[in-house]
Amino acid sequence: MTTIAIAPTRVDVRPAVLAVLRWIVAIAGALVIFGVLMWTKGANPLTAYSSMFETLTRDTALSGIVIKATPLILAALAVAVPARAGLVNVGGEGQLVMGGVAAARVARLFGPGAPGGLVLVGMAVGAALVGAGWAAVGGLLRVRVGISEAVTTLLLNYIALNVMFFLIYDPWKDLAGGGQPTSPAIPVAQRLPLIGSGSMAVHAGILVALIATAAMWWVLRSTRWGFKLEVVGGNAEAARRAGFAVGLLLIGAMAVGGALAGLGGFAQLAGTEFKLRPGFLVTYGYIAFLASWLARHKPVRVAVAAVVLAAISVSGDSLQLDSRLPAATVNVLMALVLLAVFGWTSRRSEA
Amino acid sequence: MTAPTTSTTEAPDPVPQRPGHRLEGRGITKRFGDLVANDGIDIKVAPGEVHAVLGENGAGKSTLMKVMYGTYVADEGDFLVHLEPVAITSPAVARAHGIGMVFQDMRLIPAFTVTENIALALELSGPRLDRKALARRIREESERYGLAVHPDALVRELAIGERQRVEILKVLMAGAHLIILDEPTSVLAPQEVDSLLAAIDNLRRQGLSVVIITHKLNEARAVAGRCSVLRGGKLILGGVDPRTLDDAELVEAMVGRSVKPIPAERPAAPTDRPPVLELRGVSTEGRPQSCLKGVELTVAPGEVLGVAGVSGNGQTELYEVALGLLHPSAGAVLLGGEPLGRSPVSTAIGRGAVGVPQDPIAEAVVPGLSVAAHVALSDLAQFKRGPGIDWRRVRSRLDELDGHTQLGVAHADRTVETLSGGNIQRVMLVRALREPASLVVAAYPSRGLDIATTRRTQELLLEQRAQGAGVIVISEDIDELIALSDRIAVLHEGTIAGIVTPAQADRYLIGRLMLEGAVAAGASAA
Repeated sequence: MTTIAIAPTRVDVRPAVLAVLRWIVAIAGALVIFGVLMWTKGANPLTAYSSMFETLTRDTALSGIVIKATPLILAALAVAVPARAGLVNVGGEGQLVMGGVAAARVARLFGPGAPGGLVLVGMAVGAALVGAGWAAVGGLLRVRVGISEAVTTLLLNYIALNVMFFLIYDPWKDLAGGGQPTSPAIPVAQRLPLIGSGSMAVHAGILVALIATAAMWWVLRSTRWGFKLEVVGGNAEAARRAGFAVGLLLIGAMAVGGALAGLGGFAQLAGTEFKLRPGFLVTYGYIAFLASWLARHKPVRVAVAAVVLAAISVSGDSLQLDSRLPAATVNVLMALVLLAVFGWTSRRSEA
Repeated sequence: MTAPTTSTTEAPDPVPQRPGHRLEGRGITKRFGDLVANDGIDIKVAPGEVHAVLGENGAGKSTLMKVMYGTYVADEGDFLVHLEPVAITSPAVARAHGIGMVFQDMRLIPAFTVTENIALALELSGPRLDRKALARRIREESERYGLAVHPDALVRELAIGERQRVEILKVLMAGAHLIILDEPTSVLAPQEVDSLLAAIDNLRRQGLSVVIITHKLNEARAVAGRCSVLRGGKLILGGVDPRTLDDAELVEAMVGRSVKPIPAERPAAPTDRPPVLELRGVSTEGRPQSCLKGVELTVAPGEVLGVAGVSGNGQTELYEVALGLLHPSAGAVLLGGEPLGRSPVSTAIGRGAVGVPQDPIAEAVVPGLSVAAHVALSDLAQFKRGPGIDWRRVRSRLDELDGHTQLGVAHADRTVETLSGGNIQRVMLVRALREPASLVVAAYPSRGLDIATTRRTQELLLEQRAQGAGVIVISEDIDELIALSDRIAVLHEGTIAGIVTPAQADRYLIGRLMLEGAVAAGASAA
């Protein structure tokens, strides 16, 4: 007879613990695969990893990570906010660059003699507005014409980059720059102040990034606007039927995201680089995209993920020196981490 | 109806006869955590028996069926198939013992033909699919069981009733001698219900066993020789002949108390006031079968207009046009005396129009959001607090609404998408019927609801009517329409085939209008 015993009481493994375990396994898996890749390229993975780790223990590592994380956090939030409404913003790259371009333009407008504080505020506002406008184009095309914002924002990246190239190769070219295609450096008084001292000194842009993280956490969690974005992202038809102005919400989400990335461009220009150059913030937008997806678009976690990726990126500089691999090789590791984390922590496996 | 154990010699190709019941469950118990979904249930299904399982939502009917089919494994209790103990540990085991199930959401692949879908279920051996031979077999079997299907038709082109026949045939051809049907009539038009019940009776005469879950007492009586009533996971009535009990007795067994019918007498709707909603020659673009074609319709305040029709004949379009969700390609929609034009959805909402959606999952349920959030999002302005939302007020409002509507809405923190269909419907109803509206458009308002809640929903709709709202009730349940409506408009292929009053309503006249349109009905009226 088949009297079935009462099913064993389900072991109450806390989902959070399980999630963390999955993350560890996923990252370890990515490291192994990347190690194999380095090995095929003739580098010794163990020494490569140990020198990467060693890089992170140096005195200068912390400030390096923070400086790198600043635009990453802002550009990652630029992915996270639209994602709440179900939008895929791949345009962080272009929005960062346009923010930098706008900031440089504002600095030119004020001229070298203007008071620093005023210029900085002007640069930030200009960068946010231009970043917002640049991203809103993607939102507008999605709402009006129905083209996927993932495609348009991606394509706009190339336009943004070439706009910057045009400017630094010709009209804005620094004639005192020895023929290098850069814009003139902004004067010291108009740069972001440093906080901290010695090898720990970082520019104040990190404060902008942290405030933005806190603000987005609050906006998405507690405001009606954030709630509406969640409804639109969850079921746009339900939002429409509840009388929401879905189109405006989508464009608004893109614009807010673009403004954040624009601020990232501003922080990089006014805090780190001081001038536009061809490599200005290149690949930052894509790394930020990874960060937001890794953290499932929750602002605080997004910021943490951006810092982690910044650390990987900083440690990757050692690859070039010690293992004679291109520094960009580390981007492969980031992509592997993303894929591994996705494969292992997707909804299906949580269910 | 014959006795359940009658031999089946009249069948052309009788199902193999074996002693005992085709399936007997003894003391079946299934728990989910602290919830006892089935509590020591005994059920016997004989060859040639149709067994109806009645009960409210959450009574444990679906759980019992899933235990019988092996989707869930019972915590306690035994199953016997023809006197032999069997451990039904998976659907594969159940199928191997001749137990098949037809789910409410039919599990057919729309892009495949009927033959291909059945081939998938048969687990045919060999690399090649002999479509012709299989199609021939399908034709034979469909004739034998009285389940008309076209082997070469694409499933996506089939009406819901036809899909259901395919599904039943599929289960039969996979070797089932006992078929479990999960609320099969809830999706069908009256004529389709009749033909399904006839098909079930035909299966019975061939010696097959059918277990049918239903809410509808008249259907249980029409087709079942025995019925079991579940309430709160317990068996209240086991294996009784449903024809020996009247509605009140059955309902009391299901609900645990008596339920008052809706009062037939109501104050007449005032006729002197301007209409709440007016459709003037409204046409829409879309599928030829369902797009509206020059529809003229008015709804007065304090009136219930029933809309009957086979689904897919313009109900969706009518619902959307009335609520300003869809702008007509021709004609005008006047809400509260003013044209809606091409204004956004919020305009209609602002004029007091609310809807009970036809397909809540697609149209209203936001994944991940709670019951409270669903109440808040439908009227955010009411719950403003600074730039945020006053969740405490949302909750107290929800409590208040639940108290007033008596619908038994799920807890405020439950995620709506994880609720059962009936509980999702309760959320939709509480949202729509919470305060006096000018226009209520309710699409299939009692879908998925039990008797007591259906009655309560009807009372709430009548309450809206009494408060002066114009109410449109779209339904395929003609009895419900006759009970509720002041007038019934019948939709056929996007036109109003006729408008009848409940006093003159004849179920079969309405049925003819639904299926054949105005022409046929005009001829029959003459």
